Amino acid sequence: MALLSLSNISKIYQQGELTVPALQEVNLTVEQGEFAALVGPSGSGKTTLLNIIGGLDTPSEGEVMLNGRDMTRLSESELSDFRLFELGFIFQAYNLVPVLSALENVELIMVLQGRPEKERRERAEHFLTLVGLADQMDRRPSGLSGGQQQRVAVARALAAGPRLVLADEPTANLDSENATALLDIMYTLSQDKELQTTFLFSTHDPRVMERARRIITLRDGRIVADEC
Amino acid sequence: MKPLFTTLSPALTHPAMLVFMGWRNIWRNPVRSLLTVSALAGGLIIVILFSALLEGMSRQMVHYATNLTSGHIQLHRQAYIDDQDLYATLPWDYLTALEQRFPHLTFAPRLQAAGLASSKDSSTGVMLRAVDPKREGKVTVQLDKVAKGRSDLSDNRVLVGKSLAKKLALKPGSELILVTQAADGSIGNAIFIVSGILKPLEPGFDRAGILMSIDNFQQLMVLSEGFHELAVHLTQPEQLPQIQQQLIQAITDLQQQKPLDEWGGAAVVRSWQQLTPMVANMMQMSQSMLTVIGFIVVGLASMGLVNTLLMALHERRHELGILRAIGMKGRHLMLLMLIESFFLALLAALLGAGLGSLAGLWLESHGIDFSSRMPDGYDWGGLVFEPVMTAYLNLTQVAGLSLLMVTVALLSALIPSWQLIKLKPAEVLR
Repeated sequence: MALLSLSNISKIYQQGELTVPALQEVNLTVEQGEFAALVGPSGSGKTTLLNIIGGLDTPSEGEVMLNGRDMTRLSESELSDFRLFELGFIFQAYNLVPVLSALENVELIMVLQGRPEKERRERAEHFLTLVGLADQMDRRPSGLSGGQQQRVAVARALAAGPRLVLADEPTANLDSENATALLDIMYTLSQDKELQTTFLFSTHDPRVMERARRIITLRDGRIVADEC
Repeated sequence: MKPLFTTLSPALTHPAMLVFMGWRNIWRNPVRSLLTVSALAGGLIIVILFSALLEGMSRQMVHYATNLTSGHIQLHRQAYIDDQDLYATLPWDYLTALEQRFPHLTFAPRLQAAGLASSKDSSTGVMLRAVDPKREGKVTVQLDKVAKGRSDLSDNRVLVGKSLAKKLALKPGSELILVTQAADGSIGNAIFIVSGILKPLEPGFDRAGILMSIDNFQQLMVLSEGFHELAVHLTQPEQLPQIQQQLIQAITDLQQQKPLDEWGGAAVVRSWQQLTPMVANMMQMSQSMLTVIGFIVVGLASMGLVNTLLMALHERRHELGILRAIGMKGRHLMLLMLIESFFLALLAALLGAGLGSLAGLWLESHGIDFSSRMPDGYDWGGLVFEPVMTAYLNLTQVAGLSLLMVTVALLSALIPSWQLIKLKPAEVLR
């Protein structure tokens, strides 16, 4: 069974009397462990699709099955729990809580999950070490570079043990060196047999597209190409 | 360094994490937080000072209502209350019996009558009040309130009200002729020497009052059967209701043992609240006033907090959206905002209570002096108050007002916090 299955997803925004179709009859399946990129020009529906997959937005029509559950039928509270335990998020910027250190930011999500103190401490340190921030754990976001902040976001997303990590333009604000380093880290982690984490990210960054093992192209709210 | 929230017990993890984040969040913009704290603290200081002045005024009122002239309780005959009937006296035996039955109370008998006073220059109607200086001194301070001369009622000496003295051009040492209709129907008259001029005590007595000894009164009025009024002083005023009941019982017993004449009516025992209802009502009203004004001032100050929270919410919208996206529930974000408000209100309460108490203590020791505008004080509710308004800092009230401020601030914070329940991550992250 596919990890993620989208059937006939449509999303229509109403702007006054104007109807704007953001997604039109999108069908997509993603298997466990994939490292896939959603590409397309601005306004093609990448972020809307990620938001719907992440339970942050609801489709106007269609069904989103993630790990065997139909997300469109979940209540707001169930969606929160679903996001907390099944999904990881990496956003373009301002990913971290500014008043918490890198270690505290990674631990935060596990506190919400109710994991025991010892376990979350070990996992937070482990994943921060994996993303190369072993010596920056006590720094707050303001003391970290943009690339380091995104790496903390990756560590936070993975430390929670999600099945699917959704990344919305994760390299958009990074220079070439930091973007490449971040992608390498994400790809390496996606290949980890133990973690079996699936990555789905939106981008129009050619550097990201180069590393993706699957490229799904969106245009005007429709999937126009799906290449491996 | 180990994160603070991980050192707490697992059961406390969620709230502890929110407390930890909330505390750090308020210092993200220290200037704004301090301004908010200052506004709330300023409101609390105003309410504390208002409360201290009100409490001081109330206590001053009680002091004046009880210690100046009336005492805590008074006994009269009903006919005296109704018509100031000269013959409606209580027998001296009653005083002796009450003093024996209530050794822990102090009693001051008084006699009162109207008369005509003449000085060299003019004449006027006067109110004569006779007291026993020894007993009176244990019940009220009226004999000590001498503006000029000295307090001396021996021989044929009298004390006169300040306005009366001015009207009759009297000064210490002046001669004063008193003419009255005595109890036996004769015309009583005698010459007295003014020993001192009284400070204003009651507006009426200031204009027409003459204080004399009971011996002089009895000779002038030919009235020795009893007294018109018995003022009672309590060492523990909080026991007033019980003592009043005991006195009523004692008087009932006495009336059964030694019945009073019929025309003077029964003996009536009244507390100072019954004697000066305006003061008693004012004291009750002051508490309601304090609550209403407290709510208004603290409520207005809390609007500053609401503004701060709305600004913080606007600035941190994206961050809060991310927290919602990663799985934090709306109620957690609402709690986070309320915790931040609580910290701001708590800091304001500590600052406001501290500074307000210091200012209150200063007013308690120095007071506000209006003597340049009102040298003789001001009269209100039938009493003349001194021109210095002193505060009284009630620490229980300070704690209550601080709690009120924190509560009102938290209630105000519900308005912006509620928005977080409805926060749609997709909308704020778009």
